[in-house]
Order: sequence, then C-alpha cells, then structure tokens
Amino acid sequence: MGAASSRLEKALGEQFPEGERYFGLENFGNTCYCNSVLQALYFCVPFREQLLEYYANNKSTGDVEDNMLTCLADLFSQISNQKKKTGVIAPKRFIQRLKKQNEIFRSYMHQDAHEFLNFLLNELVDILEKESKVVAEPCENSSLKKNSNGPINVQLNGTKKEPVPTLVHKCFQGILTNETRCLRCETVTDRDETFFDLSLDIEQNSSITSCLKNFSSTETLNAEDKFFCDKCCSLQEAQKRMKIKKPPNILVIHLKRFKYIEQLGRYKKLSYRVVFPLELKLINTVDNSDLEYSLFAVLVHVGSGPNHGHYISLVKSHNHWLFFDDENVEMTDESMVQTFFGSAQEFSGNTDNGYILFYESLAEKS
Amino acid sequence: MAAAANSSASAAGAGGGSAAAAGLKTYFKTPEGRYKLQYEKTHSAAVLHYNHGGKTVSQLTVAYLKEKPAGQGSTPSTPSSSSGMRSAAARLLGSGNGNRTLSFVGGNGVSRAVSGSSRIGGGLGTSGGIGSSQAVANYDGKGTYIIFNTADTLFISDLNSQDKDPIKSIHFSNSNPLCHAFDPEAKEGHDLIIGMGLFNVTEATIARFWKEACCGPTLQQGRCTSVAWVPEREGIFVVSHSDGNLYVYDKCKDGNTECTFPAIKDPAQLMISHAKSSKSNPIARWHVCQGSINAISFSPDGAYLATVGRDGYLRVFDFSKEQLIFGGKSYYGALLCCTWSSDGKYLLTGGEDDLVWSMDDRKIVAWGEGHNSWVSGVSFDSYWSPPNSDGTGENTVYRFGSVGQDTQLLLWDLALDEIAVPLRHPSSGSPTFSSGSPSAHWDNACLPTGVLQPSPRMRDVPKLSPLVAHRVHVDPLSGLVFTNESILTICREGLIKIWVRPDQNENNHQSNSSELVLGNPVSKDRVITTSNKATGSSFKQSSAVVFT
Repeated sequence: MGAASSRLEKALGEQFPEGERYFGLENFGNTCYCNSVLQALYFCVPFREQLLEYYANNKSTGDVEDNMLTCLADLFSQISNQKKKTGVIAPKRFIQRLKKQNEIFRSYMHQDAHEFLNFLLNELVDILEKESKVVAEPCENSSLKKNSNGPINVQLNGTKKEPVPTLVHKCFQGILTNETRCLRCETVTDRDETFFDLSLDIEQNSSITSCLKNFSSTETLNAEDKFFCDKCCSLQEAQKRMKIKKPPNILVIHLKRFKYIEQLGRYKKLSYRVVFPLELKLINTVDNSDLEYSLFAVLVHVGSGPNHGHYISLVKSHNHWLFFDDENVEMTDESMVQTFFGSAQEFSGNTDNGYILFYESLAEKS
Repeated sequence: MAAAANSSASAAGAGGGSAAAAGLKTYFKTPEGRYKLQYEKTHSAAVLHYNHGGKTVSQLTVAYLKEKPAGQGSTPSTPSSSSGMRSAAARLLGSGNGNRTLSFVGGNGVSRAVSGSSRIGGGLGTSGGIGSSQAVANYDGKGTYIIFNTADTLFISDLNSQDKDPIKSIHFSNSNPLCHAFDPEAKEGHDLIIGMGLFNVTEATIARFWKEACCGPTLQQGRCTSVAWVPEREGIFVVSHSDGNLYVYDKCKDGNTECTFPAIKDPAQLMISHAKSSKSNPIARWHVCQGSINAISFSPDGAYLATVGRDGYLRVFDFSKEQLIFGGKSYYGALLCCTWSSDGKYLLTGGEDDLVWSMDDRKIVAWGEGHNSWVSGVSFDSYWSPPNSDGTGENTVYRFGSVGQDTQLLLWDLALDEIAVPLRHPSSGSPTFSSGSPSAHWDNACLPTGVLQPSPRMRDVPKLSPLVAHRVHVDPLSGLVFTNESILTICREGLIKIWVRPDQNENNHQSNSSELVLGNPVSKDRVITTSNKATGSSFKQSSAVVFT
C-alpha cells in the first residue's frame, strides 16, 4: 500500500498538482460501490469545493447530530487536509452513518452504485433543504416526517415547489421536459421534471450519443397506452418526446446495464459495448444549443452479474487520469478509458464496463 | 437494428455459413442491385487468444501487383524471383524460398539487421522475432493481394482465391503492428511499411523501443497511429504518432543515424522542424496537435496531406510547402479517420459519432447521419459511376462508404447539385454547396489560408442520409476498401468479408467476377433503402440523395 502510493507520487513527480490529495479508501466488506462513488464525487471539483465551504461554515455549531451530509463533508475535509499527498483513509464514520441510515446498505451484500449515488444525493438535498428551512422559519417545528429512506427517484419530484437551490442542485440538477403532442387537436403539453442523472437504455455496439438520441426520440402513445388530452377531454393518440430544458453543470449518465429479464425472473448484466467520448456534445436540448461536456470520472462495474462483482473508478484530475480501486490509487492513461466500453459480443469475456459517467460542462468553465 | 436481425440467410456467397449463424445477412440491396457476400478471409484464431481490451487495431489494404521487370531490387542477394510479391514477401517475411533470411535480433527488438532490401523494415517494422511464417508455396506474384494486420501479426492473403486462410503471416513477438502502407509504385520491388506499437507497457518502454528500433533518442513516446507513402514522391513516407507528432522519412536513408529535434514548447501549436544533418532519418518532424493524430491521408497527387486527431480537428497541409491550408473542428469529439476523393476535390472524415463530409471550399459540405456509434473507416468508391452517366460531363454524384463501431457498413451518394440546404438558415455564411462546377477553390477560397474553423452548428450543415445501412460483422469494424469487383470490410478482430458488386446477370457472380461490367448499375432497380433503425426521429426516412 505504502509502496503503491509512493509509486504514484514518483510517477507524478513534479507534476503532482499543488494542494491535491490522492487517497485510496479502505473497503469494509463490499463497500466498493460506496468508495467508487465517493472518489468520483470528491473529484467533482465544484461539488467538493462547495461541500468544503459548507463544512467550514458549519463547523462552529459543532453539537449537531451526525448525518450523511456532515459525515461526507467531514470525510472530504479529512482527505483534503492530509499532510501526505497520497495514502489510504478509512471512511469509517461515513459508512457507519450510511448503514444506520438505510437498511439496504446495512448488509454486506453487493450494492448498486447508482442506487447509492441516488440515495446519497437525495439525502443531502433533504438535509440541506431542511436546514435552510430551519434558518428561514426558525419557529417551525423541525420534526417534519422524513421522506422515505429508500432510493427515491428524484425524477418524479419535479412538481415540488422548490426552495433555495442547494449545492447538490447547483451541481447536478437538470430539467427535462416531456413534450406530448395530441394527435387529434395538436396541442402540445409540456411537463417538466428535474433530474440528477440521466438513465439511458443501451444497445449493443452503440455510442452514448446514439443512446441519447434514442432517449429523446419520439414515441407514439397509442392502443393501451393513450394519452389523456386535457383539451379533448379524452384519451387520444399522442406523440411524446423527452428533451433537456436545463442542462446540468455536472451531467451524470447512468447506463442501464442491469436489466430485468422476465423469462429468467432476475436481473442480468448487459456487457454491451457502448462507447463514450471524452468530449460529449449534448444534442437533445430544447433550444438546440450545442452544449459541450468533458468526461472527468467513470465508474466501472467489474463482474458478470448484478449481484456480485466489484466497482472501481477512473478519475481525471488536473489533466491526469487516475485509477481508484478501494485502497489502491494508480496513475493511468487517457486511453485506459476505452478499455471499459464493454464487449462487442455477449460471451467474449470483458466484464469491466463503464456504468456511470460523470461529465462536466465546458461552458461553465469559461 | 431491425434491418440486421434476420437469421434467414440466403445461400449467396461461399462464406455464408458463419455469417448466418451470427444472424447476419449475406447480401444487401442498393439502387444498382445486390451486393453479395462472396467469401471471407481470416486467420488462425490463435492470434486472438489474448484479451485485447478493445485495443486491437486491424487495418486492411489491397495490393495490386504487376509483373515487375527483371532486375528489380537493387540488392544482389534478393532472390531472383520474377514475382514482385514473392520478392516483397521474401524481403518482408524472410520466407524460406530465397537465400535472404532476415536476421532478427531477439530481446528488445533491435532491428538494425536488415540492410539493403529492407531498409524501411529496419527503420520501422520488422522488429521482433518472426514467430511463424506459414509458408505456402502456391502463390505467384501477379495479382491482387490483401494485406492486413491484426493483433500481433501481419497477414497477406490472395484476394481472388476462395481460400480463407492467409498465404503468409509475419508474427511480431515484441510489439504489435498497428498500421501499414504499401507502395505499389516503388521502383525497387514492393515496399511495405509497418507502424508498430506496444500494448500494455509503460511509456518508458515505448520510448526505449523507439530509441532502439528507430533512430535517435529524441523520438517521443507514443505509438504509431498511421503510415502513408507520399504519392509521386519516390521513397518518402510519413508516420503519425499518438503524441501528436508526424515524422517524414526517406527510405533511401539509413534509419539509424542520430537525429535531434527541438523540444516542443507549446503542444497545441503547429511546429515543423527539419533534421539538422542531411544524413538523418527521419528528415523532418511536424508537431501537429495536442493529443493523438489518429489518421493521415494524402491527396492522390501527393500535394496535400490531411490529418485528423484526438482534438477533433481536420487539418489540410500543403505538403511540400509545409503549410497549413485550412482545417476545421468536428461537431462531436475526436476524429478517427479521413480520406480523399480520387479527384482530390473532397475529403471525408469520420469520428466519434456520425460522419462529417467536408472540403473543396474549405468548409463542410454535408453531414452524414446514420451510424449508431463511432465511425472508424471512410472511403470513396472510385469505381462506381452514377447510372446513365455517359462518361463525359462532370461527375456530380460521389459514392462513398463508411464503417463503424456499430458493426455496420453504410453507403452514401452525394449528389452535389441536389444537396439539401437546411431551411431556416440565414443566407450569409451558410455552408451551402455552390452548385455548378465543383472545381477546386483552393486559390480563391473564402477563408484565409491556415485558419482553423470552430465546430459547426448542427443545424447549419446539410444532412445526408445513407443509401444503405447493413450490419456486416458481429464485431466493430475498422476499415473498408473498394475494389473494382467488390467492397472489402474488416472488423477489429481481423475478419475480412468480401462483398461482390451487383451483377447484371445475377447468377454469374461467383464464377468469373473479373468479367463483370462494373459500375454500371441496373437503373430500374432503384430502391432507396433507408434503414429503419431505432434512432427514429433523427433519422430521415426519405433519402436526401436521389439520382438524376
């Protein structure tokens, strides 16, 4: 371990970025899903900076009970304040809190990294919103019932009235609009939904751009699945398509590699080869603006099935690519990314597949 | 995918068996008729025993060998074979039928071994020990051969034989051949250059490899990405690398002299430097861009060099003046391939999604939309001629093909005078194609020389839909070649399929393909086949390209 980290320092040499820390995370028994997500979030610089800022501003209160937010902020601060440049940290407090908070993650079973990411971001939002509410209306009873603890699908929470956007919103939130055109009266109904990530259906030997096109392609609602048109006051055939109304600063793309196969009665992993670019153009926006994103982290699922396996992450930091595998951190090369595209044929053995992709907006930078 | 998933394969083509098993059709329809799978070429599966992690690069070229006059080859020890191919093979392979066996030094790939006949090999290719050279006696020089490299081996196959296996193979034990180029015009036999790379090694090892196998210690790290002979310039060739450098070599010079090039100050800037010593080889280094140069292509007359790379830019240089003429950025990410039309007027580029069709007025002409994944190979079909063309007049329809990582082959027609101009577009500065004479506008171009253009906006570029989209292999494709009789496709794993062109009398396609009257499609059979893919909405159902 020690040898590995000094090797990393040696490999980077003078190019070691000022003030940056590269720390592996200890695995507490199948917590790689958690470690890989944490690394990707840590190297999501705007998120990290805002979280550390939050931590600095709220440290003084001290006596607040631990929650996912404080635990995460504490972990990030711990990493960034290490004296050494490389090493290993045990995210003990964070994992303990996570297990306490949510029974799904309590077991030693293999967990889904996407579910965890989703849970974590929503949990952070809940805490932050509650806090801002407490600040705004200090008299109000703060014993509001919590939302369900399960992995909630944010995409459905769109209609909720929004308070001040939290740091999670600022980084990850985008708005999708669901355009439905009634084929009888031609009325177009727009419905907005917010999202923290886009979950894409995948096809064998395709590209992310192609999957995004499919995501936004026009779907006809007919037969059993008609649309209730408010104007016609009846069920009508309609055309529906999803477009991105407000693109997020950090675009998280989740590839639906775990698919429920009805005949088998269980989930199956799709190792399809889906190529993803280092620079992505987001095409399916409402105003047809050409938005450019740059890849900065890839979460890789290793293994042939959904219920076992391993997670690792590839992260770009200061123009170097790094490979995080629990305790291990290694330098790698940009071309490493393409080894995680997937396999072109079902049984050809490559099971290390890109699962969650993190892109940052290039517009934000300039 | 609907177009592809059909297991009822017809019995067309000798190699139909395995294709049918994989659910691939053995033919596809075009307006001029059916292209049929004639046969397949492959290599022993043993080559692919290792997991290459998607890194395998397979490249295919077709070599037309003419009978060479006697006395070819300057080296007296070259076997006095009348066959150019044998000679080339002998030079390359050190096959046992001659007295010249290439002497290889094992270990680190030091290949100062071959003087004389294989100077180039000494410089670039023939490092590493020859592991297997499956000598097959039965081949003669004249004819058409396929040269392809895949994994760690370079193969030579006879195009016109139905034999599936290659007639020759060179195995490289230290490094993998990544690309190659064949020079049919070389006066001394047939020269082949092979670009090498190393897999899964540290950068230091690559550097050492280059130091020893190539020339001075100054060569930067970075694997070789593309090699090309300069047309009309005997013995000059160009090698591009993944570090953004391009080296110009002279095969007549020794490849082992010390040469130094100045350090690159700004990796994003073009910098061309010449070797100080007249003896040194490479003779020049062009630092073209940051990141990899993914492909290079010379215009047929050798005047212009096009490069595409990781940074998404197409660059066109005046090769002899060493001057950037123009360039432009792709819409999506990196560009992976490029090629010229045979008249040198147009350029095709392909990359990380879709296909951009550019050139002539130093701007993009059209945008081919139809692949579901990245485009890995593009080529013009210079043997095709539009229906009803009488051979006179200007050829205003270009046929080209593209292959992609979506395992599909797409064919396109570009009718220059009918190209769809997007509506709702302000007339100023629109990249509409100036119809009429598509003559080159190099000199009165609308843009000053040497300017790189930013990415186009999607709505500004006329769209093109493919004539045909056909899933030809089970693996992602890496290249295609048009010949007089057929279209050749090669996949990443090195399997080659030969699609014979439509025959006017349908039943004669296998027996005597050389007698076919080609490029003369049946004009009644004008099915514009648009593929019904899942990309529905963005895919134009009605083809924009119609024959006149």
